[in-house]
Amino acid sequence: MEYAKQIVTPDMNGVCCAKNFVASCFEGFGDQAFEPKKVTVQWKEEKAPSGADALAALEGAYTSILRGLGENPERQGLLKTPRRAAKAMQFFTKGYQDSIPDILNDAIFDEDHDEIVIVKNIDMFSLCEHHLVPFFGKVHIGYLPNKKVVGLSKLARIVEIYSRRLQVQERLTKQIAVAITEALKPAGVAVVIEATHMCMVMRGVQKINSKTLTSTMLGVFREDQKTREEFLTLAKE
Amino acid sequence: MDRGTPLVKGGKAEGLSGSGTTSGKVPVAGAGGWQNGHSEPQRAAAQWQEERTRSLEDNQLSLPSLEAAYSAILRGLGEDPERQGLLKTPWRAATAMQFFTKGYQEKISDILNDAIFDEDHDEMVIVKDIDMFSMCEHHLVPFIGKVSIGYLPNRKVIGVSKLARIVEIYSRRLQVQERLTKQIAKAITEALQPAGVGVVIEATHMCMVMRGVQKMNSKTVTSTMLGVFREDPKTREEFLTLIRN
Repeated sequence: MEYAKQIVTPDMNGVCCAKNFVASCFEGFGDQAFEPKKVTVQWKEEKAPSGADALAALEGAYTSILRGLGENPERQGLLKTPRRAAKAMQFFTKGYQDSIPDILNDAIFDEDHDEIVIVKNIDMFSLCEHHLVPFFGKVHIGYLPNKKVVGLSKLARIVEIYSRRLQVQERLTKQIAVAITEALKPAGVAVVIEATHMCMVMRGVQKINSKTLTSTMLGVFREDQKTREEFLTLAKE
Repeated sequence: MDRGTPLVKGGKAEGLSGSGTTSGKVPVAGAGGWQNGHSEPQRAAAQWQEERTRSLEDNQLSLPSLEAAYSAILRGLGEDPERQGLLKTPWRAATAMQFFTKGYQEKISDILNDAIFDEDHDEMVIVKDIDMFSMCEHHLVPFIGKVSIGYLPNRKVIGVSKLARIVEIYSRRLQVQERLTKQIAKAITEALQPAGVGVVIEATHMCMVMRGVQKMNSKTVTSTMLGVFREDPKTREEFLTLIRN
């Protein structure tokens, strides 16, 4: 049986069509016929890694930013800042270079477990793609296995891969859920992210205590209210 | 501390050479030795004179180059600056960064001039848990925390919000937490000539949390104690106890 494939076209920024997302995008989830059109597994959207030239370009850009802000890039505290900032930014976007199959291939096990598995309070740090400012919070993941379970740390690694990118919280939530779905084909997946956006806290409206919550419920978590409720209760405590 | 030569477009290179005008509140030489710090009278240029000025006009002028730099960054990271989510990101990121460094546009003298009052109060005044957001000058990544300020007035008190505004001016810059703490303390000293000033900052550095060592719960605490806060342990203890509760 093939991996469940997701319908992705190039203009979707790596996100599948939101309209028929749940039912028709995956085998085994719904009644609708899955058309074998030209599909691209989401993982294949991963971007190529950047080389040493990229670092030099980033350093030049950061030097120019320091000047543009009215600072003096020659002063002692800022001398190596372009390099440090460039490397930091590369670290914050290292998710583009990692691929899900590399981290998952070995850690999927056959297990006859049919109760919810939850990994919660996974610390998440990402960069808002609109302002290039961090947003961070916690991710709670639950899934109902269908004969296959995954190593628990792999859930956290999936979070890492997708969060270490220029992101939008809604898309991040969905990508994590989709990746788990593609890997395990479980009966259902639930992902909840609660995050603080520095772009809202440090600037703009400046609401310090605000939090943004997004969730993606797939499979039985979407269809069955009791299952969803169980997950939300267990994840919130 | 050496801040080098500021580069500010628009010909407003005031910087370390000192601006032409002060607010008239330069500390008087000999009026309480510690308040002039360790500097000699001729070097006792009010710290306010060391503030860079960057104007709104400078911001407009430098915006295109900042935008271009951010576009280059997006490309350098392997992203596609043409995709919908990133189309206006260079502009947004540039204006955000200008906001995060707006402390360079402001002068202490502008915000303090009216709010210093003669008051015969000789007990500690504390404003604590002032939210602070700054940018680490080493990685250009935020560090965020809380500032607690206490001072012992010497016939002059200051509008309490002005303490928070002083924090804003110095935190909205490319900073090092130690320097930020000291600058806040010195600004209050120069404005009020109080009997003592204490500033404590407790902050989380995203450069340590999001990358590098990645220690999620670590906090960095710095403090500056001047005057009686430095010399008298009981006063310092009172201040530290009151900000802890």
